[in-house]
This record gives sequence, C-alpha cells and structure tokens, in this order.
Amino acid sequence: MARPVVKREYSFKDAIYLVEIIKGLGITWKHFVRNVKASFRKGPHTVPTCWQYPEDRRPISPVFRGAHMLMLNEEGKELCVGCGMCARACPAKCITVKRGKAGEEDADRYAGKTYCEEFVIDELRCIFCGFCQEACPKGALMLGQGYELAEYSMEACIYDKEKLLANFHEAKEKGILPAPRKKVPVEKPPAKPKPAAAKKAPAGAKAAAGDDKGSAGSASRKAADGKAAPDGGDSGEAAGKA
Amino acid sequence: MEDWGIALGKVVFIWVWALLIAVVMTWVERRGSAMMQDRLGPNRAGPLWGLFQPLADGIKLFTKEDVMPDNVKKTLFILGPALFAIPAFSAYAVVPFGDKIVLGGKEIILQVSDVNIGFLYVLALGAIGVYGMVVGGWASNNKFSILGGLRSTAQLISYEVPMGLALLAVVLLYGTFSLREMVLLQEGTFLGFLPNWGIFKQPLGFILFIAAAYAEAGRVPFDLPEAESELVTGYHTEYGSMRLGLYLFGEYVNLGTLSAIMVTIYFGGWHLPYIDMSAFLGPVSYGIASFLVFFLKQAFFLFLFVWIRWTVPRFRYDQLMALGWKKMIPLCLVNLFLTALCVQLTV
Repeated sequence: MARPVVKREYSFKDAIYLVEIIKGLGITWKHFVRNVKASFRKGPHTVPTCWQYPEDRRPISPVFRGAHMLMLNEEGKELCVGCGMCARACPAKCITVKRGKAGEEDADRYAGKTYCEEFVIDELRCIFCGFCQEACPKGALMLGQGYELAEYSMEACIYDKEKLLANFHEAKEKGILPAPRKKVPVEKPPAKPKPAAAKKAPAGAKAAAGDDKGSAGSASRKAADGKAAPDGGDSGEAAGKA
Repeated sequence: MEDWGIALGKVVFIWVWALLIAVVMTWVERRGSAMMQDRLGPNRAGPLWGLFQPLADGIKLFTKEDVMPDNVKKTLFILGPALFAIPAFSAYAVVPFGDKIVLGGKEIILQVSDVNIGFLYVLALGAIGVYGMVVGGWASNNKFSILGGLRSTAQLISYEVPMGLALLAVVLLYGTFSLREMVLLQEGTFLGFLPNWGIFKQPLGFILFIAAAYAEAGRVPFDLPEAESELVTGYHTEYGSMRLGLYLFGEYVNLGTLSAIMVTIYFGGWHLPYIDMSAFLGPVSYGIASFLVFFLKQAFFLFLFVWIRWTVPRFRYDQLMALGWKKMIPLCLVNLFLTALCVQLTV
C-alpha cells in the first residue's frame, strides 16, 4: 500500500541541515575516539563490543551444555554402570551403550558391578539438551564446557568411550569439571497413585515393545545383553547397532 | 633535457602519491567506519591493525575471474571504469602540493603544471568523471545499473551549477584562475587576526562548495548513484574483479583531488596560520615542510569524507533535487552577489 508522502513543516534550523549534521558528527566522533583508545589498550578484549574469538573467549556459564564426558570418581574409577538410561532419555537417539559385567580383577577400574563396554555418542545428532545428564543415576555422563567441536570428518564427530574419557581428563586438567550433582531429596509419593503413573509412562512404548514390562530398564537390559535384533522397534535406539 | 627530468619526477611523484592516498583511504574508510560503529573492521592483514588490508584486497581483485556478463555493450563496459578513473587522476596535475624546493641549485615548483586555467581544468575533469558512471551503468544492461547511472547524471547537472557558482565567487575574490597564485594570495592574515584563508572570506561559499563536492564525488549523503539499499550498488552492480576495483579506486582518487582543491582554495594550501615557514627553514626542508602541511590539511578533509559518510543518512531523491535547485543555487547567487559587492567596494 503506497501511502502519500506526508509534508512536514521544517524550521529554518532543520531546513539547513547543518546543525543536526554537526551534532551527528559529534556523536560519531565520540564513538570513534572511545574505540580507538580502547584498541590501543593492552590485553585481550579491549574494544568493548567485540570479542576477537580465538584470542578473546567469552566466559561461559558453569551450567553450559557442551561436549559430553564420562566421569571418573575421586579414586579414578569409572562411574558408568552401562544401564542405558541416557540412551533411553536421548530425544535425538544418538547414544549407544553396551553393558558389560565387571569381574573381580576390574574392581579398581569400575565403580559399579557392571560397566559400559561400549559408549558411543554421535555428536552430529546430539542436540545438547542435557537429558542424558539428568537421566544418569550415577552422575557418570556430564555435558562439559567444550564448544569447539568442529572436525574434518564425520567419523571424528562420533565420540567413543576413549574420547569421552579424554574429555574428562582434559576438563580436569583445566579445572573446569562440572560440579557433582547434588542429591535431590526424593519425596516418597503416597503409595497409591504411583503404580498408576508408572504404568502410564511406558504405555506409549508398550505397543511397540510388545512386552508389558517394556520399561526403560528392560530395554537397556536387552541392549546390555547384546541382542543384536532390532527388538521390535524398541525405540530404535542404538541397541540395534550393538 | 633537464626540465624533462624534473617534469617526469614530479609526474611520478604525484602519481605514486595519489595512488598511495587512495590505497590508505580504503583502509581508513573500513577501519574508521568500524570504529565509529563500535566494530573492529579488518585488523588481521599485516602489522599495525591490518594496514596491509588494501594490499590483500588488491591481490584479490587482480586474481579474480574477469566476468563479462552477457548482453553488455562490450566497448562501453570496458571503457566505463577507465573513463571514471582517468579524470580523477588527471586532476592531480594542477594541484599545488607544496611551494617550491631547491634541488641541485634548481628551483622546482611543487606542482606538475601551473596552468593559468587550472581551476577550470579541475571543474571540467570533475564533470567528465561522471561519464564513467553513466557509461558503466548504461553498458551493464541492468536496471539497477542504469538507474544508478541516470541518477548520477541528474545529480551532476544539479550540483555542477552550485559548485561552479560557489567557485566563481572565489575567482572574483582572487582575480585569478591559477591554483598556485590563489594559494600565494592566501599568505598573511585577514582583518589582523585571522589567517588569510579563503574559508574566512567565503564561509558560505565553502559550505556550498563542500556540499556540492560531496554530491560530485557521489559520497554519502549524496550517494544516490550507488545507493546500496535501493540499487544493489548502482552503476557498478555488474562489475567485478579489477574493473570494479578501478571504480572503487577512482572514487578514492577523486576524494583526494577534491580534498586537495578544498585545501588549495579555502584553507591556504601549504601555508601555516601565523607562521611563515620560509623565513627560518632551509630551501630543501621548506619544500618538504610545505608539502607536509598541505598533506596534513588534505588528510583532514579525506577523513571528513569518511566521518560524514558514517554520520549522515542518505538523502531521498526529491530532497536531493530540492536541496540543489531550491536552496543551494539561490544561496550561491546571494554569495556571489555579496562577494561582488565587497570586491567592488574594496578595490
């Protein structure tokens, strides 16, 4: 819709433009001087509005959700028990876990009785929602502070257990390990409504799983047993790959 | 034979100087604009905050593929940038970039040629430079280009008149067309306390001239020929590689010329206010100092171009025409009349 040009009345001051132009020049000069002075200062991040990325890095939030890492406890034992809760929780279905039984001889390596033989995260599919971190009952999988995840090949973006542990060690060296999760006191809900809720939750998965015990636990157990079968479309999660 | 050598030396010097100014100006424009807009600008190439950026740009422009779009008028398409850049360079020929220097017992005037109509020569070349835009826009066979070219024509016609009239007052004042003589006439003081510069005798004339000069150079706020928000980039939309480079480069050379003319006519050329440098400097150092003084003044006006560009928004087309015809031309005539009156009464 074209609208007619509105005729405005200009005062003499407006009509000669000069006064306003000089005012404007003053403003740009102020900015110019401020920024030139700032760029002469020593040190990173001197010009207030610009971060010169490789040199200047913005401080990121302590709860930033970056590259994943598999945590070790204070004794250096792997926390992960390979339960597969993270894989169940993952909306992008990018986690593959294979559970293994820890023998007596592995007691100094693994904190639990079971461990993850294989732990693969496809960072290309990951959406960094942090659900895996929340789902983990042991606080073994955490999202760290790393955000420079670009690689030259797609294969390099699929993180295996080694890479995830390396992420942990790197974060530990830099002292930017995420704080261990505080234990949230779980209020015991009244006994009655709970089973009903529990039954309702897996109801969606039930149809596909066919099993009426088609809960997260059972699925991961299947995965852990290494059943290569697609498992009746068991939420298609990486169990199939194993 | 010796005169030929001197002339050649001066030509080479002025050529290199013009190029150097244009090259550094591209850097000043980009970094300066960034600083005014709270950005950083290109600061990676070379030492000293990206001073080699123009070099990198130049290499890029030279090594790019030279694309000639279909259905362009080939001869004119090639001719356009040259038509734009050559007058810009040529105008430097009459710029008195210093007083004189004594080298090897020979007194050399720091000006390529002291033409007695140097003034008209500059005006004429400024007008020819616009043909480069028009021809380029026409040859490109593109709506945006031709609109840009047409706008520059209209702009030229509107602003040649006030520019000429503003300068005419100066001619009345000095009674000469030679740029060197004009500078020589600006020595000393005016009314006892002001430097004897044209600006103090022609304040209105200077404002009118500078506005017309911005329009002539196609700079913001009068950059309608290349208004990038409306016309892509106007007359050089279809240009690429070094052809485009020549347009961009020619623009900065043009700025250099216009700044030099402003300094020459209104800001006393190589004279410092209140100080007569020739009294206490040797013949060689006086030559160099006079050049430096001229250069500093020119640098200020070059920076003013950048400064204004990132301060003032673009005029609308009808505003541009209204400003040119309804305000500037009457003011120019008033200025001319007053000047004539003053000259008549004082002489």
